[in-house]
Amino acid sequence: MITGTGITKVFRQRGGLLGGREVRALRGVDFAIAKGGSVSFIGESGSGKTTLGRIVAGLETCDSGEIVIDGVPMSSLSHRRRQPYFRRVQLIHQDPYSALNPTRTIHQALEAPLRLRAGQTGRSRSWIDDRAEELLAMVGIDPGYVLPRYPHQLSGGMRQRVVIARALTMDPEVLVADEAVSMIDVSLRLGILALLRDLRERLGVGVLFITHDIATARYIGGDGELYVLYRGQVVERGATEKIIADPVHPYTQSLLSATPVLHGLERPGAERVVPREMQREGLPDGGCLFARRCPFATERCESEMPVLGRYGGEGTPAEQEHACFHPQRRAVIPVGVGE
Amino acid sequence: MTAHTAARHPAARDIEARDIAAPGVRIRDLTVVYKTPSGELPAVRGVDLTLAPGTITGVVGESGSGKSTLALSLLNAVQPPGRIAAGTVEIDGLGDVLTLRGEDLRRARGSQVGYVFQAAQNSLNPLKTIGKQLLDLGRSHDVADLRALVRDAKDLLARMGMDGARVLDSYQHELSGGMRQRVGIMLALALNAKVVVLDEPTTALDMITQATILRIIREVHEERGLTTLVITHDVGAVAEVADSLAVMYGGRVVEHGPVTEVLGDAHHPYTQGLIRAIPRLTGDLSLARALPGRPPTLGTLPTQGCVFRERCERRLEVCETDEPMAVNRDGRTVACHATDRHLTLVKRKEFV
Amino acid sequence: MTVIVSPGGAIDPGAAPARSTRATLRRNFWRGVWRVLRRKPSRMAGVVIVAVFALMGVAGPLLYPAQLPRDDNALYAAPSLAHPFGTDFEGTDVLALVITGARYVLLTGLATAVITVALGTLIGLVAGFHRGRWDTLLMRLTDMNLAIPGLPLLLVLSTVWKFESPLEMGLVLGILGWGGIARAVRSQTLSLRERGFIEAARGLGLPTRHIIGRELLPSMAPYIAMNMLIAVTGAVYAQVGLFFLGVLPFESNNWGVMLNLAVFNGGALTTPAALPYLLAPLIAILLLTLGIVLIVDAMDEIFNPRLREE
Repeated sequence: MITGTGITKVFRQRGGLLGGREVRALRGVDFAIAKGGSVSFIGESGSGKTTLGRIVAGLETCDSGEIVIDGVPMSSLSHRRRQPYFRRVQLIHQDPYSALNPTRTIHQALEAPLRLRAGQTGRSRSWIDDRAEELLAMVGIDPGYVLPRYPHQLSGGMRQRVVIARALTMDPEVLVADEAVSMIDVSLRLGILALLRDLRERLGVGVLFITHDIATARYIGGDGELYVLYRGQVVERGATEKIIADPVHPYTQSLLSATPVLHGLERPGAERVVPREMQREGLPDGGCLFARRCPFATERCESEMPVLGRYGGEGTPAEQEHACFHPQRRAVIPVGVGE
Repeated sequence: MTAHTAARHPAARDIEARDIAAPGVRIRDLTVVYKTPSGELPAVRGVDLTLAPGTITGVVGESGSGKSTLALSLLNAVQPPGRIAAGTVEIDGLGDVLTLRGEDLRRARGSQVGYVFQAAQNSLNPLKTIGKQLLDLGRSHDVADLRALVRDAKDLLARMGMDGARVLDSYQHELSGGMRQRVGIMLALALNAKVVVLDEPTTALDMITQATILRIIREVHEERGLTTLVITHDVGAVAEVADSLAVMYGGRVVEHGPVTEVLGDAHHPYTQGLIRAIPRLTGDLSLARALPGRPPTLGTLPTQGCVFRERCERRLEVCETDEPMAVNRDGRTVACHATDRHLTLVKRKEFV
Repeated sequence: MTVIVSPGGAIDPGAAPARSTRATLRRNFWRGVWRVLRRKPSRMAGVVIVAVFALMGVAGPLLYPAQLPRDDNALYAAPSLAHPFGTDFEGTDVLALVITGARYVLLTGLATAVITVALGTLIGLVAGFHRGRWDTLLMRLTDMNLAIPGLPLLLVLSTVWKFESPLEMGLVLGILGWGGIARAVRSQTLSLRERGFIEAARGLGLPTRHIIGRELLPSMAPYIAMNMLIAVTGAVYAQVGLFFLGVLPFESNNWGVMLNLAVFNGGALTTPAALPYLLAPLIAILLLTLGIVLIVDAMDEIFNPRLREE
């Protein structure tokens, strides 16, 4: 079990005569990933989703807030003592091409962490090679083919599977998959997503799935939770299928409306929401963060900032939280032609 | 959305009535080979593709499908170790692009065929303002009225929701990814090219930005009466913007037809598999699955038979030995033995 | 439910067995090196040239007696079959001088290269990887190193130090010359450490020793190897230059000494008789540089598995 409470992060950009600008990447994000569970963070670039993933993986520290791993708050530990905990959270990079060292074979890439693991768990040397083969088989690739090869000899999909296998060498509790399929060929994406789902079921590994493409979050497996992140704030949260079917926050609705419609198979939703302007830097901070772009914003939205909760509204689904004063169900997602 | 949908099935005469200027593009039997240590291998082989005047054609393919090579051929811009080995690319008012050389070719690029490069957001010169780059472009094509060029560019940028004057004064690092993408489109259109090629126009962009860019492409396309080719790996992006859809695999166009028909009732097993493999907001999760195997590379393409057979669930014996011919029926083209076995065999007899 | 993804493509016949041992990797590496060298005739030529010089350095002095024979009847003799490059002022065979002189020159070059590359790489790696205070400190040190005026310092040093051993010479040249490499390696490290695989290694908790030695260093290998080879030529020029200027005592046979004697004693610039005596060491230096430059061209392909295998 890994939880985060009130995670904030501010980046100070250098430059400018006035000594730089502050960018609030995360503004108090709460989340919990249960054993074998899945939590998806959806957001555009600049939403803070990647920063969050890196904080959870221990590659970056938060300015305030607390990450708790197995009941131990990380802020109470020294940098050195934190390491074994953060090792239980493994990051899967977006780019399987840069995530593997081009000068090392797959065998070498797996052997190094496995040797470390063997030392930690008091296992023998022969275990290392067996385990490498076992892990590769687990992620669905032929160890005999892959082990002696260099990364450039493998397809993007295979490399991403190797990256996942390498993450599994540490017997992690949670895999943080940051845009894990965005650089994979379209025909192979579902394979990687199905693998993550499979690992959840078989190993009880939790998955923190980070993406800008909501549709992919459906394929991580059942009972997943979806967090919609906008400029560092969670603006809508609930069960993945529920949010996709019944979004009430205009930003979530904009995201879903922007998902391409496969004309011929689907018809566009009747109430697609298009933001009033494009995302840009320097949008004002006062009031609702989305107010400036929101087609439904009122005066209240400009001055007051909604927090994640329930603001009523016509037929808003239960157990679904939103940060919007005017939640409203709208038919934004495509409808299958046959339905 | 209504204008968009209405334009999806334009009858040919409507287009002629609206804008006679839109040129047609006919690619015939195009073969592009790349020199590798194991000899010259075809990245594009025997491709026939017609871009009807005034339409947007989407070319969809995964890595190694040859889609970018195809796009470069339209400009006769294939670089060594690549070489256009055979075929013609006829553009109305320009003739066969592949026979153009030197100065003629340079003039054609930009003024008649506009091109937005893959990762246009990275293809701007970091040391010059956008306006300076625009003027350079104008001068290199002997534009007499540079003021008009700048005015046009500002209009275009405004069309795309940007402050033209400010953008022209900016360096590329001062613009966001979505803005650079639009600047790339502006530069491709600035010289009033009537044929526009967009290579991965929305890759690496966020969903909302992508939707906006696609809408802009559609609008500008219609306003200016262009013939547009969009190259992408993203079926969704093409579905949003294109009138007709060509699916490439292993250097061949395996299926081509109106976008709603190809997506709604795909004939080729690869197209079917690809559509099943797209993560979607709707549809039954249990029916969705990845295509087995992996996309071919130049080196792993089979030299005979169907290029898709190794990943195909409907392969026949004939697929091992004979390459399927592209068969055209009712405005749809499919190259597959299993889809239309009878017709293919008849067709082959004629050729023997 | 585990679906094994079949490789799909053709498997190259020479594929190693599943469990690649270090030995097979090493064998594959050297096979790859051989393949890369064979790709261009120029590279083979470079290898042959450098090998010949290496042989000269190792075996050269053994071929001749410690005191080279003099022929008082043939001072500044013209090139002939017996003396392909003629003789010097004492009637000693010039070719023999070149061959026996190679050891000192090459040993100095090698020692310099090893020291510059070892120091430069180490300092650059540590500075780039740890950043912060270490970086500031080491880079100031590097700046100081770069600011040392090498030649004047050597001139001063030579007044108190005889540099009898080529290793002493190499040590001095090496200690003076590592700054450039340190800077370059640091900037390489800075860009490499942002790469996914380095971050992944840190996320896995792999020790810093492993990350620097096994992940960073191999990625920089072509670069380091190139610098090392070029450092050899640099060192050869530097010491030949010093001897030529005559600031170092002529304790041993050396190409630089030959140049000095040819110009200042033999008057090679004015009389054609001493010309072969002047040209012989020059040609030797030229050939050695050429050989090294031809090999440098192969470094990228040797250390990049993708380019090596193709």
